[in-house]
Amino acid sequence: MLHGHERSITQIKYNREGDLIFSCAKDPQPNVWYSLNGERLGTFVGHNGAVWCIDCSWDTTKVLTGAADNKCKLWDCETGKQLSSLETKTAVRTCGFSYSGNLIMYSTDKTMGFPCEIHIFDVRDGSQLQTGNPMSRVPIEAPMSKITSAIWGPNEEYILTGHEAGDLNQFDLKGNWIKGCKDHGGQINDIQAYKDYSMFITASSDTSARLFDMETFEPLKMFKTERPVNSAAISPLHEHVVLGGGQDARDVTTTSTRIGKFDARFYHLVFEEEFGRVKGHFGPINSIAFHPDGLSYSSGGEDGYVRVHYFDQNYLDFTFDY
Amino acid sequence: MAAGRHDSESRKSRESESHIEDVDMEEEEEPSFSDPEDFVDDVTDEELLHDILKKKPKPSDSVDSVIIVDCIPKAGKDRLEKLKNGNLRNWLLNKECYDQFSVIYNEGEKTAIFLNTPEPTKVEERSCWTETYVRWSPQGTYLATFHQKGIALWGGPKFSRIMKFGHQGVQLIDFSPCERYLVTFSPLQDSHDDPQAIIIWDIRSGIKKRGFHCESRSTWPIFKWNHNGDFFARIGEDTISIYETPSFGLKDKKSLKITAVRDFSWSPTDNIIAYWVPEQDNTPARVTLVEIPSRKELCVRNLFNVADCKMHWQKNGDHLCVKVDRYKAKKVENKDQIKYSGIYFNFELFRIREKQIPVDKVEEKEQVLAFAWEPVGNKFAYIHGEAPRISVTFYKIHPNGGKVELFKTLEKKAANHLFWSPNGQFIVLAGLRSMNGVLEFVDTQDMTIMNQTEHFMATDVEWDPTGRYVVSAVSWWGHKVDNGYWLWNFQGVPQHRQPLEKFCQLQWRPRPPSLLDESKIKEIRKNFKTWAQKFEMEDSTRKQTASKDLMDKRRMLMEDFQEYRARKEQEFAEQKKTRLDLRSGIDTDELHNQEDNFTEETIEFLVKVEEKIVEE
Repeated sequence: MLHGHERSITQIKYNREGDLIFSCAKDPQPNVWYSLNGERLGTFVGHNGAVWCIDCSWDTTKVLTGAADNKCKLWDCETGKQLSSLETKTAVRTCGFSYSGNLIMYSTDKTMGFPCEIHIFDVRDGSQLQTGNPMSRVPIEAPMSKITSAIWGPNEEYILTGHEAGDLNQFDLKGNWIKGCKDHGGQINDIQAYKDYSMFITASSDTSARLFDMETFEPLKMFKTERPVNSAAISPLHEHVVLGGGQDARDVTTTSTRIGKFDARFYHLVFEEEFGRVKGHFGPINSIAFHPDGLSYSSGGEDGYVRVHYFDQNYLDFTFDY
Repeated sequence: MAAGRHDSESRKSRESESHIEDVDMEEEEEPSFSDPEDFVDDVTDEELLHDILKKKPKPSDSVDSVIIVDCIPKAGKDRLEKLKNGNLRNWLLNKECYDQFSVIYNEGEKTAIFLNTPEPTKVEERSCWTETYVRWSPQGTYLATFHQKGIALWGGPKFSRIMKFGHQGVQLIDFSPCERYLVTFSPLQDSHDDPQAIIIWDIRSGIKKRGFHCESRSTWPIFKWNHNGDFFARIGEDTISIYETPSFGLKDKKSLKITAVRDFSWSPTDNIIAYWVPEQDNTPARVTLVEIPSRKELCVRNLFNVADCKMHWQKNGDHLCVKVDRYKAKKVENKDQIKYSGIYFNFELFRIREKQIPVDKVEEKEQVLAFAWEPVGNKFAYIHGEAPRISVTFYKIHPNGGKVELFKTLEKKAANHLFWSPNGQFIVLAGLRSMNGVLEFVDTQDMTIMNQTEHFMATDVEWDPTGRYVVSAVSWWGHKVDNGYWLWNFQGVPQHRQPLEKFCQLQWRPRPPSLLDESKIKEIRKNFKTWAQKFEMEDSTRKQTASKDLMDKRRMLMEDFQEYRARKEQEFAEQKKTRLDLRSGIDTDELHNQEDNFTEETIEFLVKVEEKIVEE
C-alpha cells in the first residue's frame, strides 16, 4: 500500500517497463514510486491545485501532468524538474504523450464561459511550449458535451475522447472530427487501450464498462455492475479485465463500505462473466491499472491510497472451461 | 356459452343445464340418423314413455329445478375469439411443476411473469399493466391489476383479460377463498342511498352482487370470508354481522350481538368464528369460539388483566393461539386513555379437534415481536426479547395428549420476521430492513441451522407455494438502492441473484389445493426413494444440458474473438515499420526484448524491524 497522498487519488499509471508507478491526487503533488517495493522515488512539486491527470513518455524520460490550477506541466522524470508549464483558461482534465513522445495533448474543462478544448503541442518545437501556442486547437462545441477522458490513438494518428454524455469521438491531429458513437448512457470516466492499441475499454457512470474496436468503434463486449465504474483496464497477459468504481464520492459519507461496493472486480474479457473481487479500499476506486507484465495491478482510491496487488498462483492458474 | 363454465357452481344447477351442453355437442361429426322429412311418428308418448312420463315435472314442482335463461348475449366472430380464454388452470400443466411469479419493476412501469425453472424464464411482460400493484387470486387462477377505473382480472395461457370491475378509485381488494367473489374498496363514490364504498362482485359474470358502506376505520379486509366462501362477516359496534352467499343477505336476518367485541377471525378450515371481548366493569375479558351457522358456543375462555389479544389460527385449523398482552398495573389517564405497565405475555393454545376444546397456556415475560404457527405440523415459533438480545423460541404440541413442550430456544438472533415453509418443517428467520437482511434457514425437525446468510437490506421474503424455493428481495418501495431479488432453495443454498432496476414487488402464483387425497400422498411418501431417483436423474440431465449450453456458448464466443484477434494481430504486424520510425528504431513491441536498454539497479526491501536495547 502506497501512502503518500493527502487526498483522493485521481489517476495512476505504470511506465512502459512497469518498474515505476505514477500517481496524482486531489493534492497538488504527483508522486512516482517503485512498483516492486512501494518506495517513493520522488515528487513533482509546482502545481497549485488538484491534479487530474498524469502520463509518462514511452522511454520514461518525461512526465506530463494536468491540474485544476489551469496548468499543464511537463517534467523531467529523472530529476523531477519542471521543463515547461502551459497556461490554460480552465482546469486540465486529461493529458497524454503520443506514441513517439514527440507530441503531447491535453483537454480542458468547460467552465466559466470557456469551452472545452483539446490542445496538441509538438515538444520538439521549443517555441510552441514557450509561447503556449499549440500546434492545433480543437474546440468541443455544443451539442457535444465536454471531454472527461482522452487517450492517443495508435501510432499517434488521432485522439480518442470520452465525453460527459457518454459519447466517444475521434479527432485527427488537425482537429477534424473523424467519427463518433454513443453506446454508454453516462459519463465516460476512463479510457484505457489494450497493449497493441487495437481495442480499448471504457469505464462509465452508467455502471458498465465496454470494450470497443479502436478503429471502427465497433462495440465488442460489455461488463455490467451495479455501481458507477470509474476506471477499467485490460490485462496484457490473460483475457481478463478489471473494473474499479463504487458509489458516487458525494454519497459515500452516507453509505457504509458494504453498500458502496468498492471492490476491484475481475471479468473474463471474452465471456463477460465476473470471476473475482478484491476488497481493500474504504471508498470508490478512481483509477486502476495492470502492470505491463500482467502479474500485478494497482488501484488508486477515493480514500487516498494506492494499493499494489500481486496476483497469487490461484489467479494465474485460473481458467474458464470452454 | 356462459352456462358451460359454471363448473363448480352448485350441483343442482349443473344437472339442469346439461341439455344446453348437449346442444353444443351436435357440432361434432356423426353419422346421420335423422328421419326423412315427411316421416310422421304414430307412436304416442304415453305408449313409449309410460314410466318416464310419471316423473314429468309439474308446474307446482319447486322453482329450484328450473333455470330460465334469458337475454343470452350474442357475440360476433371477432368477439368470440376474445371470449375464449383457454384453460384458466393451464399454468398447472407444467410437467416439471415449475412455479410462476409476478414481478413489478422499473418503478411500477413494468410487470412481468416468470417461470422458476429454476433460472427464471420470462413468460410474459407488459408495460403499464397495472397502475399500482398486482394481486394473485387465492388459488392462482387470476392476476388482478389496479387501475383508476377499477380492477381487471387476467388469466389463461396468454394472460388475456377475463373480466373487469368498474370501481372508480379502487384501492384495496380481497378474493373469496373459492375465487367466486371479489371484494373491492374505494374511498370515492359512496353515497347515502347507494352504498358503493365496498362492492362485492361475482367474478365469472362480472355482476355486482352487493354494495356496502364503510363506516368503521378497521383494517382490511373488512369482510372476512369463511374457508369456502359460503359466509362472510364484518365486525361492527357490539356486533358481528354474518352474511351468506349466494343471496348476500344477512344470515338469519340478524347480527350476532356481542357487547364490546374487539376482533374476530374465521377458522381456515371450519365454520368456526373466534372472537374476543375486553374486560368490562367486573366481568373478565374472554375469548369465545362460535360455530356457524348454529351460533353454538363451543368454548369460552375467561382471561384477566388483558391489554390486548391477537388471534393466530394454524393453517390446518387444528390449533388456535391467542396471544394475550397482560399487564400488572393499569392507570386511567385523562380522556379515558388507559396506560398499562408491566406488560407480559400469554399464549392461550386451543386444541380445536379435541372434545370440549382444551386450552393450554404458555407464559413469556419478554416482549414478543412475532408469532407463527408451523402451517402443517404441530410446532409454533415466536421472536422475543429486546435488541440486541433477541431469541427465537419453538414449542411443540404433542399430537397425542396435547402436551405443550418447550422445544428449543435459539439465542442472540438478528430476526424480526418468521417465515415457515408452506409445508412446515423448514423456517426462515429473517432480520429485514433495519436488521440489514440477515437470513437464517432452520430445519425444525432436529433444529439444525442449514445456512446463516444475508441479503443486504432485504425488505421481503416469500416462499413459493410448494416450499421448494424462497425469495428474498430488496424492494424499491422500501429501499432505494440494490433493488432485485435472490432465489434460494429451502436449505438456503443460493440459486439465482437477479438485480433489477427499481424492482418493487415479487409474488408467487398460488396453487389450488392438491387433488391427491391422504392415501395417495401416503403412497408417494412410501415410494419416495423411487421417485427421488427419477427426479435426481432428471436434475442431472438438466444440469448437464445447461452446462453443455454454457460451454457451447463460450466456445462460440471464444472462436469469434480469436478470429477478431488474429485479424488485429496481423494489422499490428503490418504497422511495425511505422512504430519503429516513431520510436527512433527501438522495438518496444515486447516488454523485455531490449537487452541493451537494461541498467542494473539495487533495490532495498524492508524485510523486518528489530528493536535492540543497547546497554549503556
